[in-house]
Amino acid sequence: MDLSLDLSQWREEPLGVAYRRATIVTVGLRQLIRTRFFRVLLAIAWVVGSLMAAFGFLFTQSVASGGWLDSLASNFGPRGHALALSLSAVVLLYPDICIGTLFTALFWLQSWFGLWLSLIALTALVPGLVTRDRASNALTIYLSRPLTSADYLLGKLGIIAGTIVLLWTGPLFLGWLLSIAFAPDRNFLVYSFGPLMRALLFNGIGLAALAGISLGVSAVARSSRTAIVLWLGLWLVAGIVAAPPFMPAFVRRASFSNDLIQIRQEVFRLDEALTAAGDQLPILDRQIASRLDRAGENARPMDFTGALAGLAVLTGLSSVVFLRKLRPE
Amino acid sequence: MPRWNPRDAIIEAEGLTKQYGAHRALSDVSLKVPPGTIGLLGPNGAGKSTFIKCLLNLEAPTSGSARVLGRDIRAANRGSRERVGYSPEQDSYISGMAGCEYVTYCGQLSGMPFRSARQRSHEILDLVGMGQERYRAVDTYSTGMKQRVKLAQALVHDPEVIFLDEPTNGLDPSGREHILTLIGSLWRDLGISVVMSSHLLRDIERVCDRVIIIAKGRVLEHESIAALMERHRHIVELAPTADADRFVTVLTAAGARVERLSTGKLRVESASDSVGWILEQMRAHGLPPADIVANPNALHELFIKAITDAHGPQP
Repeated sequence: MDLSLDLSQWREEPLGVAYRRATIVTVGLRQLIRTRFFRVLLAIAWVVGSLMAAFGFLFTQSVASGGWLDSLASNFGPRGHALALSLSAVVLLYPDICIGTLFTALFWLQSWFGLWLSLIALTALVPGLVTRDRASNALTIYLSRPLTSADYLLGKLGIIAGTIVLLWTGPLFLGWLLSIAFAPDRNFLVYSFGPLMRALLFNGIGLAALAGISLGVSAVARSSRTAIVLWLGLWLVAGIVAAPPFMPAFVRRASFSNDLIQIRQEVFRLDEALTAAGDQLPILDRQIASRLDRAGENARPMDFTGALAGLAVLTGLSSVVFLRKLRPE
Repeated sequence: MPRWNPRDAIIEAEGLTKQYGAHRALSDVSLKVPPGTIGLLGPNGAGKSTFIKCLLNLEAPTSGSARVLGRDIRAANRGSRERVGYSPEQDSYISGMAGCEYVTYCGQLSGMPFRSARQRSHEILDLVGMGQERYRAVDTYSTGMKQRVKLAQALVHDPEVIFLDEPTNGLDPSGREHILTLIGSLWRDLGISVVMSSHLLRDIERVCDRVIIIAKGRVLEHESIAALMERHRHIVELAPTADADRFVTVLTAAGARVERLSTGKLRVESASDSVGWILEQMRAHGLPPADIVANPNALHELFIKAITDAHGPQP
């Protein structure tokens, strides 16, 4: 048999390890984005981000002289106009409370969407992280190249981080940026910055915990189906079991979704923002103020330290499982 | 880092040992392998795959050291694999990818820019005989196609040396022929050294210019095929057209050791390294014509001999 080896030679210096890690991330994300399921989640996430941006934009424009609120209120006569002016005045007089509370509530709501969408996306992603690689001996392919298991780990972490950025952090940032981009007053930037940082902090905690747990689940499962069942069990079943308030603390802390909810309450402190608004804003009547107090009460963290410890233990255990299983096979 | 000189050894191992609990899979392996097409020969469980895996750092050696293309496998962990390709024995692929996408990805994982990787992947897939199947998901491939795509991913980044673990497993005869021809031409035409592990002596004999025989984790032989053949020149296989008994009598009387094979042929071992004396005897005693093959199954005989010497007769 005659065989002609008509090949181009490639004798260049190989690109560095950062490029190879980035390749794992981009190819992993590209595979994920190809699925219709993930595209639907992406659409929901960015619609939520856009709605947040639209709401924030309308809010910031409310204090602009001759802005949309002013013009709209003029249609309702002098009383309506006066009411609009007083609302604008309150925002200008109490920017810390009005802007801070509104953005805290907005980001709090968006974090709920972001967290849920990430959890749903991870259900589809978990089998593709390590489970399938182990089943098809792909780990050998990775580790026989100029890559170490740490590079592989970083690549997989990058895929999870990319997923969360696309579904959670990105829409959050878009919402905030578009909200304050056209704001007439720098107070909007100053007083929305604190809530943004808290939202990003919770985003970071969520990312670290979800990355550790999902990698652990993916590494321990032998088939895609087992990985999905295990993930849903840890997320939904444990979450439902831990939800009733009469459950002992250790059961509640054993659910990572429950722990994340508790941490979210502590990080955002929506309760404090709502109570402060109810107490200090002069235009709110007693009924509205007490409603805000009650809402704040519901948003109060119950067991932050325990939840943080529970989440740390779960994440740590998952990481240990992952690192043990990652050894070349 | 200084570039590896193609005239230097591709593999240098010094006391390389791998222990799994009480079982010693690799025992004090020391050798220096020059570039070329090298066959790694041994029975199942001999330690061939473990040796390759240790060289690639897929298994951490218990003791000893090794250098691949002049780079220490421990000190230059990633670097020692930059110009190395590996096609493992078992099915290995990244699930959910089309063949060409998978090979491109493997090129990128070795540090190739995307465009170069894509171009090379198509060239290599052509070379290993993959047609339109390259656009199908790897998961759906037959064993033969998986074998080809494994070879393609090992070659995509233009390595200086590739390790092939049982590369012809699962291939049909024409596929096997194609892949063996390709492996044989890698060193000759492209200067890519090949270390091919196999238990199929014919495959090794056909494509390799050097052989390493391993059994029970020890290197029993490490020699060029030509030198091994040279050592085996005194064995001849003879197929008489008639009077086999007379052949036995005459050749035994001439001082040779004659053994009847189950095929009806005679295996003649003598002190001479040519067949001239047999022809002489046939003429002198008026023996009928016979097919004479010098040093047949040389590798097989040496393989069996080496293993028997090391561990006693095989059952």
